[in-house]
Amino acid sequence: MKIIAAIKVSAEAQDIEARPDRTLNFDRAQSKIGAYDLNAVEAARQLADTVGGEVIGLSVGTSALANSKVRKDALSRGLDQLDVVASDEYADLDSFQTAQLLQSALQQTGYDLVLVGAGSSDVYAQQVGNQLGALLGVPTLNAVNKITPEGDHLVVERLLEDAVQVIEVPLPAVLSVTSGINTPRIAGMKEILAAGKKPVNELAAGAAPAGSAQAVSTLAPEQVSRQQNIVEGDPAEAAAQLAAYLKAL
Amino acid sequence: MDFKLNDEQELFVANIRELMASENWETYFAECDEAHVYPERWVKAICELGFDQIMLPEEHGGLELGLVTLTAVYEELGRWGAPTYVLYQLPCFDTILREGTQEQIDKVLAYVGTGKQIWNSACTEPGAGSDVAALQTNYTRKNGKIYLNGQKIFITSSKTVPYLVIMARSADEENVFSEFFVDMSLPGIKTEPLTKLGLRMDSCCAVYLDNVELEEKDIFGKEGNGFRRGVKDFDFERFLVGACDYGWALCAFEDAVKYANQRVAFGQAIGRFQLIQLKVAEMAVRLNAMKNMLYEAACAYDEGNMTSAQAAMIKYYCPTAAAEVVDRAIQILGGVGVTADHRVQRFFRDLRVERISGGTDEMMILTLAKGVLRSYKN
Repeated sequence: MKIIAAIKVSAEAQDIEARPDRTLNFDRAQSKIGAYDLNAVEAARQLADTVGGEVIGLSVGTSALANSKVRKDALSRGLDQLDVVASDEYADLDSFQTAQLLQSALQQTGYDLVLVGAGSSDVYAQQVGNQLGALLGVPTLNAVNKITPEGDHLVVERLLEDAVQVIEVPLPAVLSVTSGINTPRIAGMKEILAAGKKPVNELAAGAAPAGSAQAVSTLAPEQVSRQQNIVEGDPAEAAAQLAAYLKAL
Repeated sequence: MDFKLNDEQELFVANIRELMASENWETYFAECDEAHVYPERWVKAICELGFDQIMLPEEHGGLELGLVTLTAVYEELGRWGAPTYVLYQLPCFDTILREGTQEQIDKVLAYVGTGKQIWNSACTEPGAGSDVAALQTNYTRKNGKIYLNGQKIFITSSKTVPYLVIMARSADEENVFSEFFVDMSLPGIKTEPLTKLGLRMDSCCAVYLDNVELEEKDIFGKEGNGFRRGVKDFDFERFLVGACDYGWALCAFEDAVKYANQRVAFGQAIGRFQLIQLKVAEMAVRLNAMKNMLYEAACAYDEGNMTSAQAAMIKYYCPTAAAEVVDRAIQILGGVGVTADHRVQRFFRDLRVERISGGTDEMMILTLAKGVLRSYKN
């Protein structure tokens, strides 16, 4: 089975600073693979280890993808190969632009199954998986919390608000996995050393498709002083007070 | 000199950080410290990432990544307050590989990846500490066997290690000192745990040897070579002590400096007061000196050039400098530092032991000064 795990490299959230005017400073932020994408990589690895096949990471992004450390980090997490589509035109893509670029890459490379994380660690729009599936015209599911191979198809469990939905999915398919589907492995030193020897495939990067959304501004939330309301009393009373307070907000 | 780490080294460190952030290990360390228990679950977790393969040669399944890599890993582990002092056996396979028989090597390497304690050497006795040559434990041959008799004391890890390399003097020739690879489950061996001021996650026992029957094959290294064997290994162990101390100092420093930025007194963060700034500056100087000293020696080691004087300098300077950093950190943290179970208290206790364990300050001064004086002769 050829399993593609989509990954997005973005700025490490904890290194982003909010300036006094609420604009964001990315100068000290290193590039890193999104935390939720690691669930997709891990799920892909586990599936390939069960049914056989290869796991290929696919990333659309900027020249951050040329960073050798970022590449090795991705490859050490269980990928057999990394495909990148990189252009500095791809700096602030919206979800639909990203989905279109992934679609075009997948049409070149082929796939049996595409796994994406719950959302990117920067924008977390949670749209790319569904849009990509629609563009490719294949079965598409999100909130996938378990994947079990069965014959020529997969049985997946979707975590709904108050139920678990079990669905048989034929391949090819696009699945967005939850952050709880697994605990991504921390790569050991051996895997890190081996990562440098794995192939990276640079796919041709065309012009960015036209945007469907426009970011007007990105500002950090306004800082407000703590009001220091203290809820006291036995648990039932305290809960009632807290609920009343939250409702009044 | 450029101490910049390469991609792989940076990723090792990043992944160690990821492991340390994956759960609240500090609670586990505090429990182990309180109960005088070896933190095996944590050691196993870092071994799963390859910690015990860093210095192990490739032909034995290791990664042979060198001392600079190991130092970077110690630094990151220390930053999280981890008890790196319990790890000393895992980068030290060199001794066993160099001196051991195939059987002894196999026994030790069987533990790679398990996180368990494996072995330590035992020299110190009630009447012989820094003055090792005064040791009284002896060995004698009878009916094709070797019998070991005597008492060792302050033997680190001896409660749980399956093997001890024990130094003894020949009962027949007073000036012949040899070492034996001793299976701790043999009859005639008794260990008696001692409580300690610090370094409590590693045991420390008195070891009684009552007619312990050994075979010729249990001799470790060359008979009569007991003293000479130790010197090179001591240097490495001394380096590791410094690497531990620096890491905890860094941890205490970060705890204290973050606190100094947050804690408000008299209407401003205490970090704005000059008496706090003096402490921060003095801490930063010591951290920088320790860091540079360690990485410089690690580079030298990887090129085969670390000297005994260099190792002694580290073992002499780092425990004291780190203790001075931790002491100031506690002062900045104030009540928070001395109450409940803040980790700086553990470092404070551990560092006091570090000035004695693994070679006293006094012996380090001798080795360091002799090395310096020798380099100016003629």
